[in-house]
Amino acid sequence: MLLLDYQNALIQSLLTERFSGATPVSIDQVVSDFDGVTFHLSTPESKTKILISINVKCYKELVQYGAQEVLEREYGPYIVSPEPGYDFSVQIDLENLPAEEEARNDLIMKLALLKRNAMAAPFERAFDEFNKLAEEASRYTSESAPQGIKEGGEVMAIHYREEEAIYIKANWDRVTVIFSTVFREETDRIFGKVFLQEFVDARRRVLTLQNAPQVLFRNDPPLELAGVPGLSATEGEVSYVTFVLFPRHLTPQRRYENISHIQTFRDYFHYHIKASKAYIHTRMRKRTADFLQVLNRARPENEERERKTASGRTFRVQA
Amino acid sequence: MSQSLRPYLQAVRSSLTAALTISNFASQTSERHNCPEVEANSSPEILLNPLHISRNENEKVLIEPSYNSVRLSIRIKQADEIEHILVHKFTRFLTQRAESFFILRRKPVEGYDISFLITNFHTEKMLTHKLIDFVIEFMEEVDKEISEMKLFLNARARFVAESFLTPFD
Amino acid sequence: MASQTPAVVMDNGTGYSKLGFAGNDSPSFVFPTAIATKAGAGSAGSSGGRPPVANKPSFLGAGGGSSNLAAKRGTEDLDFFIGDEALAAGSGPGYGVNYPIRHGQIENWDHMERFWSNSIFKYLRVEPEDHYFLLTEPPLNPPENRENTAEIMFESFNCAGLYIAVQAVLALAASWTSSKVTDRSLTGTVIDSGDGVTHVIPVAEGYVIGSSIKSIPIAGRDITYFVQSLLRDRGEPDSSLKTAEKVKEEYCYVSPDIVKEFARYDREPDRFLKHTVTAPNGRSINIDIGYERFLAPEIFFNPEIYSSDFLTPLPNVVDGVIQSSPIDVRRGLYKNIVLSGGSTLYKDFGRRLQRDIRHLVDARIRASEARSGGARSGGLDVAVVTHKRQRHGPWFGGSLLGQTPEFRSYCHTKAEYDEIGPSIVRRFALLGGPGSS
Repeated sequence: MLLLDYQNALIQSLLTERFSGATPVSIDQVVSDFDGVTFHLSTPESKTKILISINVKCYKELVQYGAQEVLEREYGPYIVSPEPGYDFSVQIDLENLPAEEEARNDLIMKLALLKRNAMAAPFERAFDEFNKLAEEASRYTSESAPQGIKEGGEVMAIHYREEEAIYIKANWDRVTVIFSTVFREETDRIFGKVFLQEFVDARRRVLTLQNAPQVLFRNDPPLELAGVPGLSATEGEVSYVTFVLFPRHLTPQRRYENISHIQTFRDYFHYHIKASKAYIHTRMRKRTADFLQVLNRARPENEERERKTASGRTFRVQA
Repeated sequence: MSQSLRPYLQAVRSSLTAALTISNFASQTSERHNCPEVEANSSPEILLNPLHISRNENEKVLIEPSYNSVRLSIRIKQADEIEHILVHKFTRFLTQRAESFFILRRKPVEGYDISFLITNFHTEKMLTHKLIDFVIEFMEEVDKEISEMKLFLNARARFVAESFLTPFD
Repeated sequence: MASQTPAVVMDNGTGYSKLGFAGNDSPSFVFPTAIATKAGAGSAGSSGGRPPVANKPSFLGAGGGSSNLAAKRGTEDLDFFIGDEALAAGSGPGYGVNYPIRHGQIENWDHMERFWSNSIFKYLRVEPEDHYFLLTEPPLNPPENRENTAEIMFESFNCAGLYIAVQAVLALAASWTSSKVTDRSLTGTVIDSGDGVTHVIPVAEGYVIGSSIKSIPIAGRDITYFVQSLLRDRGEPDSSLKTAEKVKEEYCYVSPDIVKEFARYDREPDRFLKHTVTAPNGRSINIDIGYERFLAPEIFFNPEIYSSDFLTPLPNVVDGVIQSSPIDVRRGLYKNIVLSGGSTLYKDFGRRLQRDIRHLVDARIRASEARSGGARSGGLDVAVVTHKRQRHGPWFGGSLLGQTPEFRSYCHTKAEYDEIGPSIVRRFALLGGPGSS
């Protein structure tokens, strides 16, 4: 597995099974997803009505940036009032599914992408803001543009994990997405540094990636974040990874995919650090086995064993 | 093999061969005990002069001979942070399996990455020259392994970064 | 960090892995413990299961760094599938399927590490740093295996905390949901029957009595074969293994007495059933189902009808296991015989087992009463516990214990591991034992 899926595998497989016409059963499952997201799948009223609730750490912030609208757009008719303890709920009636196979599959996918859609709101807002600013800016030359346009929109901060956050800022010619990352483990920190350096260099080095977003990486808050409250004061522990999305990434055609993709950055990054460690373990196991083999050469081969005749008698050395 | 590596390994081999002339020696301090004197450190007359062999400041070997045991400590080359962490991981992985390595010391001597403790019981049961072969091969391979792991890490990082950035286009 | 996240419970068995989150009543994922890797890379796959690195030993070419670079860019170690996808990939070209667990114990750590990696990141979708993990192990698992497990979980995945529990003990904990169980003890005999083998494991106060464990070579797969052979003998139009399995799962039950049951079938023809098989081409075939309904599970109680080399009935094995355990726990072992695993799900399986064991016990008591010349025995209580969570018993027990508030205090954390090293997992405080709620 190279890239992470955007959708939640359990919701997907569970709904696929339910939608296929299997006999309804009661469900009550609490499921986690990356970044401390919790889902609750249950059938509180009857076996044919599946309630899916999501709890996101930073839901308050997401709502500020328009999560409610995005979710309403995506799940309109299915939304029910949120279950206590959760931020957002949808309910699906198995007896009232879209008739066509394709529409059903779309619905499954859409529900499995609940986390993605909830997190997408600030991105969408930034992309919209970019469109507006770009349009305004096109009326000016770069020198005469008023201050407001040059500076771009405000920074949207999403504290999606306890110690880490995503910051998004729209400008007239780009959208900047900044991830703050923290490593609590020495090995991870060093591996992470190697990885991040390659992220930074990839665009310069590989021709086919000329059009990819620019990636920057630094250990102190980037300029875009000047004046944002709540930045960790401790130096060195937090690193900042900046993705600069250019207009070509922000077109309506690319928009959906790119929002999904950039969301997975942190988990992708951490997954691969762990996968490399697993591979290094594999190597070390192999190498250790090799060393053992070499060492065992030092042990004399045929130790004197008791020799026996066919009938089981043994030889005795005559004194 | 680079220019300075061969003499370095040769020096370790000869010194170790010389040091490994050890024989059984019961403890002088407690009756019916028999312990590696280089570890027990009970009396200076049984210890011989320790010996440093350095290739450069990052790569060196310490051989501490005694009447019935020899302790050999290796400092593995580590040019940067990455190599440092890889060496640390690898030596830790090995010491974790010290049980099957007979001569591996569970804890390296301070200032070194990995230590071996060879006693007279080892040399009696095993072939001394093969033991030395093992140590030399270990020193050769460990450097290679570390640099290969580092190469792997860089290659993997590059691959991962490119794979992530490609779908944006 | 890991303040409210539910603990991850993973029960990796020889055949199937059960993954999920503590607090749920069933595992989120159940799939085969299989991993499909690129078979092209040398001899990987078959016997040794050597890792891909094994094929390009660096010492072949001294200093051949640059030429190796391209090969090392290879990402074979990311190219694999697990679970059902592995079986699907394995049936096509290019991949070979490996089973990293043999006889309950992990044999291939490289494969297992990747299996876990994929389980965590692809299926469960959790950041292991945020979660505590509860893993299971078979009885008599060597401590070295535990250490290896801990090394992987902590060093590769940085999981927040780890607890490794013995499957049989978890199966006992799972039985606490049964209404019959009142005293939540961790003493009892676990009969764990999966697909390949059936184990009878005595557990006293949460500790497995290793010397008394017995295994029986009769389990789910054998029942399926037996059903198949019965179908074949009768010349049914469809007697594939798949059909046999379906018949086994849907129609089989345990009868109190096979002779009487045969007679009943003759009297009541409606006991014979029809089963419809839909072939892949859309045709449906009807097959008759008769005596195999009660004969198939009967091989546990009368193995001679199926096997010629293993002839001890299950009740006798259980009795023997308990008799070989220390005398002071035997009463507890008889009193709490817990079923676990898919092959114990037949209707009335528990009832028949309980009756047969009680007969054995009563016969022994009467014999010793007679020998003692007039002494009366106080009797011995035999109880087989059947409960709803039998199928995934160990997983469910893990889920139950993993959600308790004190679970985390029983785990070893990453910090403790870093401090002490892998040997820390040689000991775990007994979860759910005396003193905990």
